[in-house]
Amino acid sequence: MIEEFFNVKLPVDEHLILKRNRFLTPLQELNGKRISIITGIHGDEIEGQYVCYLLAKWLNENPDKIKGIIDIYPSMNPMGIDSITRGFPFYNVDINRTFPGKTSEFLPGQVANAIVEAIKGSDYAIDIHSSNIFLRELPQVRISKSNAKELVPLAQKMGIDFIWVHDAVTVLESTFSHTMNTLGTKTLVVEMGVGMRITKEYGENLTEGILNLMAQLDIIDRPLSLSKPSFVSTINAEVHFINSPCSGVFIPTLEHNVTVAQGEKLGDIIDPLLGEIKATLLSPCDGLLFTIREYPVVYEGSLIARILEDTKEEKA
Amino acid sequence: MREEILFEITSLSREPMRVKAFKFGKKDATPSCVIVGPMTGDAIDQLWIASRMVRFLRQKELENPSFILGEIVVVPTANTYSFNMGKSFWPLDNTDIDVMFPGYEKGETTQRIAARLFEKTNNFDFAILLEARKDHAECKPYVSLLANGAEDVDDARAFGLDFIHIKDESPIDTVSINYNWKIWNAKSFSIISGKKGELRKNDANKVFDAIVRFLSKHKIIDFPIFEGSIGNVVTYDNIEIIKSSAAGLFDTLVHVGDRVVHGQPLARIYNTLDGTLMQTIIAPFEGIISCAYDYPLIFQNAIAFRIIRLEDTQLP
Ligand SMILES: [Zn+2]
Repeated sequence: MIEEFFNVKLPVDEHLILKRNRFLTPLQELNGKRISIITGIHGDEIEGQYVCYLLAKWLNENPDKIKGIIDIYPSMNPMGIDSITRGFPFYNVDINRTFPGKTSEFLPGQVANAIVEAIKGSDYAIDIHSSNIFLRELPQVRISKSNAKELVPLAQKMGIDFIWVHDAVTVLESTFSHTMNTLGTKTLVVEMGVGMRITKEYGENLTEGILNLMAQLDIIDRPLSLSKPSFVSTINAEVHFINSPCSGVFIPTLEHNVTVAQGEKLGDIIDPLLGEIKATLLSPCDGLLFTIREYPVVYEGSLIARILEDTKEEKA
Repeated sequence: MREEILFEITSLSREPMRVKAFKFGKKDATPSCVIVGPMTGDAIDQLWIASRMVRFLRQKELENPSFILGEIVVVPTANTYSFNMGKSFWPLDNTDIDVMFPGYEKGETTQRIAARLFEKTNNFDFAILLEARKDHAECKPYVSLLANGAEDVDDARAFGLDFIHIKDESPIDTVSINYNWKIWNAKSFSIISGKKGELRKNDANKVFDAIVRFLSKHKIIDFPIFEGSIGNVVTYDNIEIIKSSAAGLFDTLVHVGDRVVHGQPLARIYNTLDGTLMQTIIAPFEGIISCAYDYPLIFQNAIAFRIIRLEDTQLP
């Protein structure tokens, strides 16, 4: 059932409309839980479109298996998605820094507010991102330390490759996930793939993971499929950031989603004018290469890679 | 005057970006004041004000070296790259430098810019940031104080501008340069004025005069000045937001800074295709237009005007 939850007039003969597709048990036996799957807050991140499609397709085909409410929100920034624009077009702001928003604010804040009002009351939410156009990410759930106890077990039910528990950062209090977690909706942020592209395998795996999660939460009736255990960053494991020491063009040696050894070459920063290598980047540790730069042009400081260092236990 | 390159950021194909400072008076003389120009590349008014300030201080110091009583450092901009290509934010990734403070020397490019700028500007008695509004609004020049700097309101009165706005802090404010200066014990102020992408010399010159007044009143320069306004303190409670109920062509009938009376028409909105009058926006009470929407096409529910209510501003 398609429902509109935000509608505002644009200057020239158009409305900006935000929609969701609601699936619920046909018997109205609403003892089940409610989950919201959302994506497209960043208009240059498309991976979630495929996941929404696959989920909606499964739900269309299996109406009798639905035991709760499943809401699918594919496009939280419609003008952005349709124009490769990360932020809210015209206002040039990141909607995911305007939560919880207010009706009295400028339009991006009103959109944020409408999203919160629509999703409020859900037991769970999954916000699907695909990094940005610069970085390619192994499918991962990102969880702030303050929510780790509650959310890590939930993320593990999805069988996702990697769960990154990171420090709480004040500025992230203006994100969708922080707002929803504060309002009592257990909200997971998924990052996977790269901006402007769809990685089919990731989409299929995440869909399977979300179906598994929903089965375990008693939202759908479906046998569990086998899933591999996740890497979890814990206090024993450190995430290393490798930033470019200079400007140039990054030529990777390794694909991401591989285990690397300390001292192993990640890639070069080259100078096309001089025909020289300006810097060679090496892995600072043994670990999992879960982020790698996709967009080649770099400045000093541009993020090249992130590596989850192997934990002491695993080494032993 | 001493001209100094504070730091450089290199680029693949462009000349390095040089962030320059112009220094007046003796190093470490007190009181000291740093003036930082815009970090967004479309804040033309602010670049005008900063460069005029350098010119003024240079000429006066040449005429009379004892004109400078303390120490003054002007950094006209930390984002020359964006100015040169008509962009607001950092050219590669569209990030806003002013949400990266106090910065991180090992982080992304804009975090490094922030770290270096902060290191060079955080040890002054007074710190002044010149800002354009980032939304689509033109504003009467005002001093903005974050709530963590509210006790500095008397010092802010030395600018002699009509309004001093005390702003409630949002998570995003904690990563601004102004907030972080304050944390490090500077008395820090933002002066917000003008309209991005344009040079409004009248308002820019008012801000210029305000800074000269401030420097003189705080005995950082020895220069005669005219008294300015006493400085009305306003908070969000005094500012009423007037929104559009229609979308279309926005024909504004008043100017920023105008005093308007209850019932006065402020703007008309016309259908963009057939010219039908869709809405006449009426002033709901008496007050001063502090901000006006600055683009000729307007969305429904956009913030068309901000009006400071006359009856409840706090006089000193
Ligand atoms: Zn995103």
